[in-house]
Amino acid sequence: MFWQQLINGIALGSTYALIALGYTMVYGIIQLINFAHGEIYMVGAFAALVLVTVFKMSIFLAMVLAMVVCLLLGVIIEFVAYRPLRRSSRLSALISAIGVSTFLSTLVLLIFGADAKGFPDDVFPVVQMRIGAAEVSSLQLLIIGVSALLMLGLEFIVHHTKIGKAMRATSQDYTTAALMGVNVNLVISFTFALGSALAAAGGVLVGIYFNAVSFNMGLMAGLKAFAAAVLGGIGSIPGAMLGGVVLGVVEVLGVAAGYSSYKDAIAFAILVAVLMIKPTGLLGQKIQKKV
Amino acid sequence: MIKRISVLILIIFMVSMSVYGAAGTVKIGFMGALTGDVAMFGIPTLEGMKMAVEDVNKAGGVNGQKMVIVEADNRGDKPEAANIAQKFISRDRVAAIVGDPTTGITKVVAPICERNKVVLLSAGAVGTGVVELGQYIFRNTLLDSVAIPPLVDYFVNDVGYKKFAVVTSDNNDFSVSLTQIFKNALKGKKAQIVADEKIKDGDKDFSAQITNIKAKKPDIIFFSGYYTEGALLMKEARKQGLNVNMFGGDGLYSPTLISLGGKAVEGSMVYVGFFPENPSPETAKFIQAFKAKHNGKLPGLFETQGYDAIMMLAEAMKRAKSNDPKKFRDELAKIKDFKGVSGTITIQPNREPIKSPVYLLEIKDGAYKLKTKVDVKMKK
Amino acid sequence: MIGEYLENLVNLVDAYYLQIFVNIGIAIIMALGLNLVTGVTGQLSLGHAAFMSIGAFTGAILTIKLGMPFSLNLICSGLMAALCGVVIGFPILRLSGDYLAIATLGFAEILKVILLNLDITNRALGLSVPLPHTPIPLPIYVWLTVLLVLAAMVLIQNSRFGRALRAIREDEIAAETMGVNTTLYKIQAFAIGAFTAGLGGCLYAHFIAYINPSDFGFSKSVDILNMVVLGGLGSIPGSVLGATLLTTAPEFLRFMERYRMMVYGALLVFLMIFRPNGLLGGVSIRKLVCKALGIKPGPRKPWHRISTRKAGG
Repeated sequence: MFWQQLINGIALGSTYALIALGYTMVYGIIQLINFAHGEIYMVGAFAALVLVTVFKMSIFLAMVLAMVVCLLLGVIIEFVAYRPLRRSSRLSALISAIGVSTFLSTLVLLIFGADAKGFPDDVFPVVQMRIGAAEVSSLQLLIIGVSALLMLGLEFIVHHTKIGKAMRATSQDYTTAALMGVNVNLVISFTFALGSALAAAGGVLVGIYFNAVSFNMGLMAGLKAFAAAVLGGIGSIPGAMLGGVVLGVVEVLGVAAGYSSYKDAIAFAILVAVLMIKPTGLLGQKIQKKV
Repeated sequence: MIKRISVLILIIFMVSMSVYGAAGTVKIGFMGALTGDVAMFGIPTLEGMKMAVEDVNKAGGVNGQKMVIVEADNRGDKPEAANIAQKFISRDRVAAIVGDPTTGITKVVAPICERNKVVLLSAGAVGTGVVELGQYIFRNTLLDSVAIPPLVDYFVNDVGYKKFAVVTSDNNDFSVSLTQIFKNALKGKKAQIVADEKIKDGDKDFSAQITNIKAKKPDIIFFSGYYTEGALLMKEARKQGLNVNMFGGDGLYSPTLISLGGKAVEGSMVYVGFFPENPSPETAKFIQAFKAKHNGKLPGLFETQGYDAIMMLAEAMKRAKSNDPKKFRDELAKIKDFKGVSGTITIQPNREPIKSPVYLLEIKDGAYKLKTKVDVKMKK
Repeated sequence: MIGEYLENLVNLVDAYYLQIFVNIGIAIIMALGLNLVTGVTGQLSLGHAAFMSIGAFTGAILTIKLGMPFSLNLICSGLMAALCGVVIGFPILRLSGDYLAIATLGFAEILKVILLNLDITNRALGLSVPLPHTPIPLPIYVWLTVLLVLAAMVLIQNSRFGRALRAIREDEIAAETMGVNTTLYKIQAFAIGAFTAGLGGCLYAHFIAYINPSDFGFSKSVDILNMVVLGGLGSIPGSVLGATLLTTAPEFLRFMERYRMMVYGALLVFLMIFRPNGLLGGVSIRKLVCKALGIKPGPRKPWHRISTRKAGG
């Protein structure tokens, strides 16, 4: 049973990681806690749901289109709600993000209603496999695989491409990067586009995996992803993956040990405990304070 | 300038019209959430209420007055619910408030209604300690403390289940109190609880809980929460190859349980105070009207309770020959064998409702089918 | 006697307005407490509602089990919350910035789960709170507390202690080298913030008459943060304005029916863009008043200056 629970935990953790990756990347570049990220994830899931159920598209095509929708949405949100606040206090941008999040979830509630919706059962072929004493479904493997791939892809973009270099420069010093000829507006738009597309992919996968999409799924997912990102060291891409998986495994093992009523508390307790020992998270860089 | 004056005149005209219109109406406040996390209970309740008001007005209204619903969205927020209750009472001068579908907000609104002597009829609150809050506080829900003991008898004695797995949503007051009632009812019976798992409303992942339950090999899962989590729970159970069924309270009764759960909820059972294929002509009529209005969609529990709440108020007003809450309150308290669409309702002397019989429904081929009918004994 | 007189006085006010006034009062108490922690000291807290829940449950239980006189009850609730503030603040205030934010959020969630699993809080079923034991009507109690908290916050912000807190916000390391015991000061600020939240929670519990652990979740904390940031970080009049605006906004927007919360969200975004430092951020009320009256703002009272010099040393 332990192995089964471990697999449950890794799969759950991967769903957290899927959202946390985009979260942490946006944070890494412009130090914004993007509370609207969870809502973008929710919109992505709904976009795919409409494409699959109304337009009868295959799930893969729907996922790609949902990513495009959210990519645009992310860029628009950045342009409208964050860009005018780039030089103000970070809390102003945080409140703006909360405003966007309220706006989006209410909008989706008005359009789709309050009840959760599910993807059709046959949208993705689910096959159960046995590994030793545990059972794994093809969907679980897909989620684990996709999140790992996305992590590697993001790492590659940030560290080995030209735009990645520009992103890192912007993250280090916004003004200097601009002076050195980096088009920071473009870089930030790109970051949001990438992060939002990732969120949409996460939304679709998680939507299929749990088979439930609802207007209020973004908030809790966003919080857990935020926790996962901080646990791994916010701004660190492998950290988001690690943080997500650790959180998922800890939660599941807590339930397995018979503490299901304390599930959320266990996750946050681990988070706080890690921060006590390592104040910048598992893989976070040490903050050098300027004196 | 002329434009401004004409706008002003128009506004004055409209205001005077609305005041004039108000003189011949009796107002009922809708208390519930239309946005926010509990909107899925508020929206259908209001839908049912609107249909009832239509029917009442088509039949000539009550005591010569047309019935009107005053809407306000409380977002599931308690301070806002209190604001709205005060607004209903001191601004709109409502005769009664219907709602809130959740126990928590009903408990916030109840003292305000009691203070102002306005009837509060909750269409959904099932938790303990609601009607105790005052003489003007009523509800029309199926009480779990009434329904559970005969059902437990049925499952243990007639069906022969011995091992129960219990799943509770522990941030949901309805679920927590239902689990308590269930556990009490199971005491002294030849059956035991082999697994006692907790989830939270809004959770999506139940893999760990199901793995735990599977290891205990129960005969059936008793889930005391709502339909969204119920559907996901069963999906996960089937995914892990756990082939036992689920049963639970009327919180599970919704077409969404089937649309979301699909094949996984085949064989799951819920108990309700009414049944869509109930021969009662009231229910049949309501379902037909509802389907016609909503593209063939079946009504859920909250629609029927919202509908009945309005109908019960209208009935009480007619009997009292008055739309004054101080007068029709007494008639509401005396309602007996009221043929509602959500079941046959009797208000007991302690203002708690009784709905009898209780129907146990089973999901078969993607629809609710009658499994059995148990009679409820009246409490003295 | 006096109680009856006051009761009649309160009854003169329209019940709907009275309801909103009291909600505004409680919101102001909550916002002022968070303003001290986040606005003045610069420590972002996403768990302020947790301290409110401590106050609410302490107050409710003291009334239900002991029937304690309300004024004593109120102080006990505040102290209990302050105690929790110290216990929680001690380990996590070493963290900075967003790490602190998530730690406060984490503690708030942990506390909520614990309260959901205790018998004394009646788990998810929550507690119905009877009327408190006091001759003074509750609305008056709430607004008396608002005035007291307001006065205390003005005194704190203008004191040596308040300037030390601002120094921590501006530059923690500089403050430390200047001899400010930053950890101690941060914990004190946190405890005072928690104390006021406890007062707010106790008043809330008795006014709303029913409480449940889920009422004090993340969204409640965010609501309070919205008030503080929208009003203007560190500005006391700002917090008052923010709390008033955001408590009444849902009522004003009621005519929009289901589109209301959408408009509310958009409004938050546009207000922040329009006034990035908050509505009253960087605005001196004193100067505004002087300008309106057509007089030149004179020099500040001497005790301000003297204490300014002291704090520099």
